Amino acid sequence: MKFGKRLKKQIMESLPEWRDKFLSYKELKKLVRLISEAPPLPDGEREYGKAEAEFVYLLNNEIDKFNNFFMEQEEDFVIRHEALEEKMKEVRERWGPNGSEASEANYREEIAKIRKDMVDFHGEMVLLVNYSSINYTGLAKILKKYDKRTGGLLRLPFIQKVLEQPFYATDQISKLVKKCEGMMDVVFPAAEEELAERAREARDAITVAGEGIFRNTVAALLTIQEIRAGSSTQSAFSLPPLNMPDSHLIQAFQLNSTIPTN
Amino acid sequence: MAARTTSSIERSSTKQLNNIGLSGPLPSSLSVRPTPIGETFAKFSDSQPAVMAKELMAGSITQPSHLNSSGAIGHIFSSSPGYSTDLHHSSLLPHEKHSTNAHSISQSSNMASLPFSYSSNSGPLPSSTPNNYFKENSASWNIEPLSNFLDFPVNTTIENSPAENSACTVMASEEYCKRNEWQEWADQLISEDDPLTSNWNDLLTDNIQDLEPKVSHVPGNQSQGQQLLPASSGDNCFGAPPASSASSAPAKPRMRWTPELHEAFVEAVNKLGGSERATPKGVLKLMKVEGLTIYHVKSHLQKYRTARYRPEPSEGSSEKRLTIEDMPPLDLKTGIEITEALRLQMEVQKRLHEQLEIQRNLQLRIEEQGRYLQMMFEKQCKSGTDKKASPASATEKPSGVSSDAIKDCAAKGEVEASQVEGDCKSGRDQANNSTAVEERSLEVGMKNDGPENQASENPRQQAGEESAPASKRQRTDE
Repeated sequence: MKFGKRLKKQIMESLPEWRDKFLSYKELKKLVRLISEAPPLPDGEREYGKAEAEFVYLLNNEIDKFNNFFMEQEEDFVIRHEALEEKMKEVRERWGPNGSEASEANYREEIAKIRKDMVDFHGEMVLLVNYSSINYTGLAKILKKYDKRTGGLLRLPFIQKVLEQPFYATDQISKLVKKCEGMMDVVFPAAEEELAERAREARDAITVAGEGIFRNTVAALLTIQEIRAGSSTQSAFSLPPLNMPDSHLIQAFQLNSTIPTN
Repeated sequence: MAARTTSSIERSSTKQLNNIGLSGPLPSSLSVRPTPIGETFAKFSDSQPAVMAKELMAGSITQPSHLNSSGAIGHIFSSSPGYSTDLHHSSLLPHEKHSTNAHSISQSSNMASLPFSYSSNSGPLPSSTPNNYFKENSASWNIEPLSNFLDFPVNTTIENSPAENSACTVMASEEYCKRNEWQEWADQLISEDDPLTSNWNDLLTDNIQDLEPKVSHVPGNQSQGQQLLPASSGDNCFGAPPASSASSAPAKPRMRWTPELHEAFVEAVNKLGGSERATPKGVLKLMKVEGLTIYHVKSHLQKYRTARYRPEPSEGSSEKRLTIEDMPPLDLKTGIEITEALRLQMEVQKRLHEQLEIQRNLQLRIEEQGRYLQMMFEKQCKSGTDKKASPASATEKPSGVSSDAIKDCAAKGEVEASQVEGDCKSGRDQANNSTAVEERSLEVGMKNDGPENQASENPRQQAGEESAPASKRQRTDE
């Protein structure tokens, strides 16, 4: 149940509107158990076929849910991205060094606002990619369980299908993320300190910096790390352990979670 | 992939749906309900479509024997005997139970909706519209009905013949695609004109034949700048409508908005004088994008407007801030802290994104390799069972596993290889075991990341008759 617990934890840490959009891992697991424990009937083949179809049906529902949510979010992000870019352009053209009303004070102020928006925006997009990833992982796991417990052959073909789903195609979002990162040096003043030093400086101010998204991303990173830390059933389809420097630092950011009650 | 509902799902909603009056004029009371379902049904100002939908639901549940009746509209139900009898009775008492059950509809719709939406045999109304509506609700998993259905044992008596089932399965996948077409098209009917529900059935019956040829277009329907569901494969038609606001039309295939598409959108909007002045129709015309419907544009415009609204007030307020400007030093300090915190947040986010990308690539590679090996094994099994006699033929086949690695787990590999050989004839066994073997060899391959090696096939040839349960992944015969 390790993945299940982690998934739950991740869901709890996630933005409220997202919470019911994740994979219903526990329910599907229950179903798999039910199916595998059902006593075989005289017309075993048909029973099996039925149970499998039902399972597939539920999985498809889940996938639809992911697709819908994902594409809706993606649409929002596309719009917000363009809006942010526009805003940036406007601010530069107006208060920037070569702008119509060049004013360093105003420029800095406006940029500061955009900065926060942009960082949050970046964060939300990354969280969407994470959403996609964690749901995929859940699906893969539940399929593996299904095959294992019922002797089925569902996993391979089904996962191929999942790979083609819109919610898994995160390329577009990733591109937007990269673009955002590209804009960061415009939006952030130059800094040469290392992550560790900055961390020390910023630790007190962390509460200021959009707690919801920040906590969420920290949780997501750590979850990924845990999930990949090695499972009891390491197989060809398992991912290797996470290679992430500074992970101890990231762990230090794990804020005592108070579940936001929005 | 075909989605087939089974009796357990039906049973889960038995309690709720059992009492639903499934024939007779429903919508009048339904439209009063504040639940989303009520809203949708209220749109069908005449009772017809909703009635048809409900009848279909009843029809499908109570008459599973009709499953094969319509060629165009497949149905995928199976039910238990007791269940259908109940419904038979309950369908005769529509009005009494009405008010109590409209409520349960919304709850059960999450679980039950989709199955019923495929029903079709009796009415000409394709359940597309109410179906997609239901699908909106089913977007979130409703745990309550699920717990009901877990109470029931999974095994049920099956009324349908296997032939029916498979036929239904096949039809169901087509059904999915067809539903998409109907949805789009049904939507246009609903919103463009007033719901001319008296003509509804006629229109739909007329057009069912028209839609069939369209199904073939659906699978291939994936253009660059925009992607409509379904995705590439033919039976992969997830035409799920967005769980959008209740005010919008119930069903539409989801549009995938790309930055390029959005740019075209923005251009069109600007040409028309800005987000406030532009109309969906105008934008749609200007954009000239195939497959884009007015719904897509409408909802997108709405989002666009809300997104624009926020940046503007902040511009206004900054003017004021100019005049109130004082205490820069204090601001500066917290300003720096904030900036640093944001920077940190950015770092974490970047890391997360990096890791996610790496993970995704790994996943893709793994699955690709799995697929490849699966293919190899299937070929191997098909091309004959006399592997022991001809190791030469095996060595010709390349495999992605290094020989060292194979030696490491030769024992395990042998066990499973023997299974592969021994069971080559039986359908499911074969593939399952080959999956197991392939997984094993993949595991090995992953560890060593070795080059292709033809000798790897050999250990498999030396398969002994060892115990099957050696590997966890063996098929458990239950």
